[in-house]
Parts: sequence; C-alpha cells; structure tokens
Amino acid sequence: MADSSTIPESSAAIPPAVTADSIGREYTRGGTGFFDRADAPTVRALDDVSLAIQRGDVVGIAGPSGSGKSTLLHLLAGLDIPTNGTVTIADTDIATVSKRQRARLRLDNVGIVFQRFHLLDALSARANVALPLVELGESKRQRREKAAVLLDAVGLGDRSGHKPGQLSGGEQQRVAIARALVTEPALVVADEPTGELDSVTGEQVLDLLVDVADEQAVVLASHDQQALDVCDRVIHLQDGEIVKRVK
Amino acid sequence: MIGRRLRSLLGLALARVAGRFRIAPQRVLLAVLGVGVAVGLMVSVTGVSLGLASQSVVQSDGVDYWLVPEQANVQSIAVSSGGPRLGDVHATSQQIGTDDRVEYVTPVLLELVPVRDTATGERKYIFAVGVIPEAGQSVLDMPAGQLEAGDPYYQNGSYDGRWTGEAVLNSAAAELTNSSTNSVLAPLGKNQSMTVTNVSTGGVATAGGSVPVMLVHLSELQELTGSTGGDTADQLLVSTNDPAVKSSLEGRYPGTTVVTGSGLSPQTVSASSLPLAVAVAALVSAVVVGVLFVTTLMGLEVSADREQLGALAAVGFSQRSRSLIVAVETILISILGGIVGIAIGLGGIVGVNRLGTQLFSVETVAVFEPQLAGYALLVAIGIGLVGALYPVWLSRRTDVLEVLA
Repeated sequence: MADSSTIPESSAAIPPAVTADSIGREYTRGGTGFFDRADAPTVRALDDVSLAIQRGDVVGIAGPSGSGKSTLLHLLAGLDIPTNGTVTIADTDIATVSKRQRARLRLDNVGIVFQRFHLLDALSARANVALPLVELGESKRQRREKAAVLLDAVGLGDRSGHKPGQLSGGEQQRVAIARALVTEPALVVADEPTGELDSVTGEQVLDLLVDVADEQAVVLASHDQQALDVCDRVIHLQDGEIVKRVK
Repeated sequence: MIGRRLRSLLGLALARVAGRFRIAPQRVLLAVLGVGVAVGLMVSVTGVSLGLASQSVVQSDGVDYWLVPEQANVQSIAVSSGGPRLGDVHATSQQIGTDDRVEYVTPVLLELVPVRDTATGERKYIFAVGVIPEAGQSVLDMPAGQLEAGDPYYQNGSYDGRWTGEAVLNSAAAELTNSSTNSVLAPLGKNQSMTVTNVSTGGVATAGGSVPVMLVHLSELQELTGSTGGDTADQLLVSTNDPAVKSSLEGRYPGTTVVTGSGLSPQTVSASSLPLAVAVAALVSAVVVGVLFVTTLMGLEVSADREQLGALAAVGFSQRSRSLIVAVETILISILGGIVGIAIGLGGIVGVNRLGTQLFSVETVAVFEPQLAGYALLVAIGIGLVGALYPVWLSRRTDVLEVLA
C-alpha cells in the first residue's frame, strides 16, 4: 500500500475535479436478495485508496484484471459509493446525497466513456452527443449547436446524421467522447476506451481524448500500455490497493 | 425548462420506439399486434352489441326522433311490446304534427298477433306494427304509404270508423303465412280480417334471421289486440330536418325519453342489459389480454435494452426520467396497437355482417360508430398505462454497474 494514506496535492489553488480519501469498497458475495444469507461472505475490491485529480490532469489507472481498476473508476465517476472513505465531486460527498442527486451530480460534472461505447442505436451521432443535454432541459437548437461543435472537434462533422450502426468502432468511440464532453464536465472517466479498437484507431482516439479534453481532468483505466503512455501520471493497483504511482 | 425537458424526453422515447421498429422490430411488432388483436376483437364485439342495441327501437328512413317510455325494456322489439306504453297517442301525434318543422309523425304499436296460415290454416305468429300511415313514408323500411293514409277506423276518440283491413307484409311474414298480395289473413279469435296490399322486403332483421312483420293501421291493431282503452302505443316516431324539434318533444310526456335518430341513444344502450354486458365483457377481455401482451413483451424489451438504460443512467438521467421514457414507449406501442385494432375491428365488423348476410340473410349484425375509434384508442392508452407498470418496475431495478461492467 504505497503512499495511499495521504491525498497527493496537485495545483493547490484550484479545487480538484475529484478527490478520493481513504476509500474502500466491499461487495457481498451471492447478492443481497431476500433469500440470501445474512452472513454472506464479503469481497474487498478496493482498500484505502486516496487521490486528487485536478482539471487538466490525465491520470491512468493500471493493473491486472480484478485489481480494482473499474471499481475505482466507478467510484470516481459517482456511479457507485464507497463502503468507507469519501469521494468528493464538486465539493459534494457522493455518499451523502440521494440517487437522484448523484445522477444530477454526474450529469453536471462527469463525462463517461465506455469500452463498448454504449451509444443509443436508435439515435443519430448528433442526438447521441446531445443526449445529456436532454436531461438538462436545453432547447433543441442549443443541443444541435453544441453537438455540432463537438462532432467537428472529433472529426465527425460530416457524419452527424449517421446512426451508430453506420459508424466504425473508432467513429463510435469518438461520438462517445463527444457525448462525454458535451456538458463541459470537470471530470472525464474512460474505462478501457481502446479495448474494442485496433492499435492505430486506439492511438487516434487517445490522442483525441487528451487533446479535446484539455480543460477537463481525465481518468482512464486500461490494460493497454499505449493508453497509459498518454497519461501525466499512472496509478498502479493490485488486489484493490495502490502499489505504485508513476509520474 | 421542465416543459422543454419533458418534451425532449417524450421525443427521445418516440425516437427509441421508431428505432426499435427499424433495428429489431420483432418484439415491438408482436406487442403492437397483441394489443391490436385484443382491441380489434373488442371493437368487433362492441360493434355486435351496438347492433343488438340498435335493433331495440323501430327504425325508419327519415325518422329522426323516437319518443319512448323511459322505463321501457326495449332489449328487443318482441320484448318491448310488453313494456310500459304511451297513452292518448292519436291526439298527441296530431298535436306534434301541427308543428311545421315536423315532416311526419306516427305512434307505433308493437304486438305479436296470431293469424291463420292461408294455405294450411295453422296458427302462426306475426309481429304486427300499428302506425298512422302517410303517402310516401316508410316504417321499418316497409312502405307505410301502401296503406290508406290516416287512420280511418279511429274517429275522434272512438273506434267506430271505417275498417280498411289493409296490411303490408314483409317477405318473411308472407312466406310464413303463405300469403301474397290480396291474400286475406284472419287474426285468430277476431271477426275482422286483413287483406295484404303489398309484400315488401323491409322489416326487422335479427341474428336469427328476418322477423315476420305486418304493417297495419294503428287503430285496427289496437282493436285487434284490445289496446283501445287509453289509446296506447309503444313509441312515437317523429321525422324532421330541424334539430330544435327535439327540445320541444322532450317533456311532452312525463317519464319519456327522446331518442336521437343519428348515432347511439343512451336509452337504447342503458336499457339493453345484454348488449351492455357483452360490451363490458369485451372491454375487460381486451384490457386483460392487451395488458398481458404489452407487459410481457415490453418486459422482455426492457430486459434486452438494459445496457442502453444503464448508459442513460450513467450519463446522468434520473430514475424518474428513465421510468418516464419506458412508460411513454409502452403507451406509444399500445396506441399503435389501438390503431391497428381499429382496423382489425372494422374488418371484423364487415366480416361479421357479411357472414350474417350469407348465413342468416341479416344485413346488419354489427355496427361501426365513429365513437368506437375514440373508445378503442382510450382503451389502448389504458392498456399502455397499466401495461407500463411492470416494464417501469423492471427498468428501475436495472443496476448500472451490472449492465455496464
């Protein structure tokens, strides 16, 4: 458990996009259903992890399968709450708010890029990019304008009307990156963003992510050394604990 | 902004439904078809019950209003002959007839009359309809004008005028009694006889076939059936082109209802328990079958769509928004099913009527009223609302981490 007991400081004057303070996450094996045993065994997926990520940082999370990369990423994105410790997004401890408030916190402050893109098949690239703005209640014109700017930025301005099924894997991931950025969040998390792409396309997507998200904090979890090479610093996890920090 | 967000969410639900039809249409098509068949059957059966209900009042071309006793059980014409009656009908119809806006008015007395078969002498029952005929008018699509105009046997309150003995038969009555034009019919137990002046194709059609009908002068039927005391009849038929006549008819008799010629009358529907029961049974069946279809298939659809719902949750859509999207999708699919159901129901009504014509020589077994389309859509929306409960519940159980891992 290397230097995980303290929150590493970044640019001190600017509040971090996200902080994790001694967080841990346990799961109950066999679920928590009505007929499940009360004394079901628990699995500790993450233990005593602390970090702070500023806007402009690109942080990689590395480690073998089962090391806790995705768990940490989900906690930093506000998709899950820690069993112990605190995750703070926009000065809010995510464990102290309701599910609805946590969804709103994600909507306003976090963009998420998934390994398998998770675009809505029925919608065009433009509508997929603008999807979070629907929940924010922005007008159709505003949604179209913002989506058009971001699709231009990811090089898909001429394919805005295409459905996901009409786009290549790399193009779909670029649409997903644009969707993650459309609300101008402080934090973008990417879970294995190159996992479904060939190496050339993966490199292009990573360059684009780092380039477009220059004002955001970016956290990406990956097995891929190519992906970790673009990061300012990399946190290595093993068995749920930070074993190495590399700048 | 809330309104804009709501509109956007509805638009998103609409886009997702359209996308489903484009990308993986099997389940949604099955759901639409399921609701369509359920609503279609309901429309067809309700059409049949409307057909039954509308046969409970004597209909005639050009007659716009019927004045009927409020408590009359006019479930069928035969039954209605035993119900409460209107009194002093000659004077009342004459009084109504003084209104310039009224084209034609006649009391209608409905009685079953036993007559002798002209060939075999056997006792046969004919449905006798007593009216005050006028030239060019028809009742039950039978030419009342073939009878002498007016009611000669009725003389200022007494029944001692000239007995015409005229009768117009429909083809079913002529066949039943082996009669034709100029045949003489002898009502059993009476001294008077009736001479057939015309055999027409009109009359009363029921699911069991054409009813034998004999159109005669009102007073002569009253005399034959002993209804002279009180000058009674079952209904008053009033023909007019002026809708304002209705209000002047209302209240003319205490305890009567004015039934409009066009469309459905509340009187016929409410007083007819069998058609109403059939319609309610059809409604309940349609709702149960439709809800089961929608619930099952949209439940499967939500299960198959968990990743996309999970993506919406991850992006920041609240549970309420996701529930709304799933509910609206379910209701939209039900409405589409309702539209398909209207088409199926209309086809069913046409089919039932064709079968009725072929098998029973009855032209109108089922009736399609425009209100049925609105009714079907309302039922479809209801099916969608109830059917959405399970898919919404299922969507709320979607664990974003589980589906996106």
